Amino acid sequence: MSAIEIDNISKIFNAGSGNQVVALTDIDLSIASGEFVSLIGPSGCGKSTLLRLIANLLEPTDGNIVVNGKSPKQARLDQDYGMAFQQSGLFEWRTVAKNIELPLELKGWDKAKRHERAMEMLELVKLADFAGHYPWQLSGGMQQRVAIARALAVHPSLLLMDEPFGALDEMTREHMQSELLNICRASGTTVVFVTHSIPEAVYLSNRVVVMSPRPGRVTEIVNVSIEGERSDATRDNDAFFRGITAVREALRGVEMSDHVRGIEDR
Amino acid sequence: MSATITRPTRASFLTPRRLRRVALFFASLLLVAVAWELYKVVGPEAGGKIFGWKLLPRANDNAMPHIWEMLERYGRPEVRGSDRKIWSVVLAGAWFSFRLALVGFFVGAALGLGLSILMARFKVAERGILPYLVLSQTVPLIALAPLVVSWGGKLSIGDWTWPRWLSASVLGAFLAFFPVAVGALKGLTSPPSASIELMDSYAASWWQTLRKLRFPAAVPFIVPALKLAASASVIGVVVAEISTGLKGGIGRLIIEYAREATSDPAKVFTAVFGAAALGLAMSGFVTLADLYMMRNRPKEATA
Repeated sequence: MSAIEIDNISKIFNAGSGNQVVALTDIDLSIASGEFVSLIGPSGCGKSTLLRLIANLLEPTDGNIVVNGKSPKQARLDQDYGMAFQQSGLFEWRTVAKNIELPLELKGWDKAKRHERAMEMLELVKLADFAGHYPWQLSGGMQQRVAIARALAVHPSLLLMDEPFGALDEMTREHMQSELLNICRASGTTVVFVTHSIPEAVYLSNRVVVMSPRPGRVTEIVNVSIEGERSDATRDNDAFFRGITAVREALRGVEMSDHVRGIEDR
Repeated sequence: MSATITRPTRASFLTPRRLRRVALFFASLLLVAVAWELYKVVGPEAGGKIFGWKLLPRANDNAMPHIWEMLERYGRPEVRGSDRKIWSVVLAGAWFSFRLALVGFFVGAALGLGLSILMARFKVAERGILPYLVLSQTVPLIALAPLVVSWGGKLSIGDWTWPRWLSASVLGAFLAFFPVAVGALKGLTSPPSASIELMDSYAASWWQTLRKLRFPAAVPFIVPALKLAASASVIGVVVAEISTGLKGGIGRLIIEYAREATSDPAKVFTAVFGAAALGLAMSGFVTLADLYMMRNRPKEATA
């Protein structure tokens, strides 16, 4: 069964006015349950917009999206997905545990059950000792782990992530990538992951969706076929490098065509 | 991912920094007293001119009584023959005004918060209300005070009639609501769009977002606004007491004692200090609330 069906989506901001922006056109994408899919492309290609359409934080101008067999709005109301952003977005006035409890509070869970789940999530991201700390007492990597724990707190079947490791240093970032794969493998979560890092996309994903800007569209979908479980050793694997090359070429095609049409102004 | 994070410690109430602040406060009081007495020694008895401008105040005992005379005055009766010492009269007056200011403060803060929530909820309300809020603060209090008293006098609901003191509290509230409304509005609209999106992704209602996100995020903006409101409510009450002739408060005492300035110059200062102490008590009360509300927030950068 597919977790997400995207059918001929387009999104136009400020439609009809002078500063109309065509963010996405003719997007078709099907994501299978348990799959890890990355969206990659230069800034302005609409990858974050696409993620927000799936999350029902934006409405498409045209086309149809189905999430877990329902409308995106119903999926949002049912909290079928968890979301994580580049900024951890933790509330500074809440302890780490209370931050993770936030979505459960909004769902009306009772206190004991909330706390139990929060501690379970903290075990998962290996921060159980920090339950009583405040976010500003943690490093950036730890804060991002708390944000992921919060996104997973309702045990969603789907995880939507918008450059969640973008603000982290390289070492922490690679560590977090491995952790994320472990967590998703254990829980069978489907992930849609927006990034601008090619190695990150290839290391994490079953498929990498390469997008191009103005107007945003899917130019190529690269299948990453790395045998067996991914670990740090994967980063020295031939298949890993082949994946990186394939994505890079697909992206280069994007830039070339833009250049030829004289739109590229970066 | 350093492991050097320590457990959060409950910040102790008497930190060295706070003790130093209190010490500095008393040191500055002493400095002002010393400067006062020093001027009395070197200043011209009948005032003086600088480049033809009458700038230097008179240093005689009538205009500037000695500090010890003022302090000593607290221990003597208010009027000759009375057995009430002036300290108890000033204290009673300050307490009376404090209660009025407190009512004004709470009414004003509640009104300010309500308005800010309304403005944060509806953009139209912000555009419609905010200019009038700013305009309201340009109305001179002295002009407003008698109006409020006369409106209040016409108001009665069943057996209940408008007590005179309520007019003073209303004027206190009139000054107090403004900083709270503006500060809280800024605070309520301060969360970044990512936090709002997060709440949307949880399908949180507007009220849930207000309670769990906007309001806590507004606290650092509301606290300084409450400090302004606290002193504003005192000013409102004291001015209202003076301009409406309300008896029993510190404002009335200042006016009464000022009339005796030539015969009993130290007397008016006892009431002036009473009003200052009242303001201090009021802001001290808000500072305690501040310490409580901000106890778990990131401390200001100490570096």
